[in-house]
Amino acid sequence: MRAPGRRGEGSSVGPRCLAVGCKNCYSLCINGSDHIVGGFGVPHTPHYPAMVASGAPDAQEISALYGQVSRRLRATAPDVIVFYTADHYNVFFEECIPIFSVGVADSAVGASDYDTVPRRELPIDSELARGLQRHLVRAGFDVGMSQEFAFDHTIVAPMHFLSRETDIPLVPIFVNALIPPLPSAQRCRALGEAVRDGLAQLAGPRRVAVVTSGSFSFEVGGLRTTEGSHVGVPDPAWMDRVLDLLAAGDLDTLVAESTEEQLAAAGNAGGENLLWIAMLATIGGGAPDWLEAQRRFGHGYGAWVDAA
Amino acid sequence: MSVYAVNKVCRRLVHEPELRAALAASPQSAEAALRAAHPPLSEDEVRQLLAGDVGALSQAGCNHFLMSQLGRFELFGLDLREEAARVRAAHR
Repeated sequence: MRAPGRRGEGSSVGPRCLAVGCKNCYSLCINGSDHIVGGFGVPHTPHYPAMVASGAPDAQEISALYGQVSRRLRATAPDVIVFYTADHYNVFFEECIPIFSVGVADSAVGASDYDTVPRRELPIDSELARGLQRHLVRAGFDVGMSQEFAFDHTIVAPMHFLSRETDIPLVPIFVNALIPPLPSAQRCRALGEAVRDGLAQLAGPRRVAVVTSGSFSFEVGGLRTTEGSHVGVPDPAWMDRVLDLLAAGDLDTLVAESTEEQLAAAGNAGGENLLWIAMLATIGGGAPDWLEAQRRFGHGYGAWVDAA
Repeated sequence: MSVYAVNKVCRRLVHEPELRAALAASPQSAEAALRAAHPPLSEDEVRQLLAGDVGALSQAGCNHFLMSQLGRFELFGLDLREEAARVRAAHR
């Protein structure tokens, strides 16, 4: 456990929802939001489901870490999950890459890219997704709308661990975190804040969890892979810095330091840090209730839930 | 060197099992499949792919994440570790 933060006195967290008159949820709102019940971040390694199923050496650790997040997610009893994902060249490729897009289909199947992830069809809250996409465009974001697609491992692998038995409807928000030029950290924060505003207007009685998946420093197949491996953690110091800033609830500094150069130095998947920024901006920031790292893989697992 | 054409072939590997089969079946089948790619690969790209020369392709600017799919599907004498090793070696 890495010095987890805890919401409460002395933090920059806003008033609890009961204090601002929330009528929809009574015990699990965070940062004054009527509808947002928690934020969660995990990795999306496509091999993890098969590793756990086969009892591989890391299986117990992987199960335990995802279990910590899953337990907290279940406790929030969400009706819908807004999921920030970095599609890995599957829905979108270099022929046409939106910087942001919202998936508005009724459902999608996956994983489209790895058979190590059990295939399933996940429902999408199309009404909320379409409303959010309209809201974001009106708010000045040139956000695409995806009406037909398959989920890749970046959503289905985490959902395998987070909600295997229950199909909680998703609102997938695709962020181009892999193919330069990436959106800036400031823009991703603004997107998250706009999604938060949209949820306040559109979520109605829904209890909304915000989830993302991605690494802090990770390289696949490139120059900065580890000898004897096809992956690597090129910038472990940056990973530790991100973890420290997350634990402190210091979103301002995380955004300021997540420069284009820094994200590139963190590996060819280093842009996934942007997804965590968008998630945190959506929930209104703050320190996590629980945060732990898998440093050798550049991964973090975190939960932001202000449970009563 | 188009780079994009190479990246696209690597991306197609994930979603087109028939392409993977053609590339794995024989050198002749592989070359025919690569020459049928659209947009077309350059002569250098065809030669480098058939040779598993991901180092040269890396130096030309091809996408490492996508080229790792060549190793994942064990094409052109590569596996995941060998693909990464050749990329690293090309930049030493």
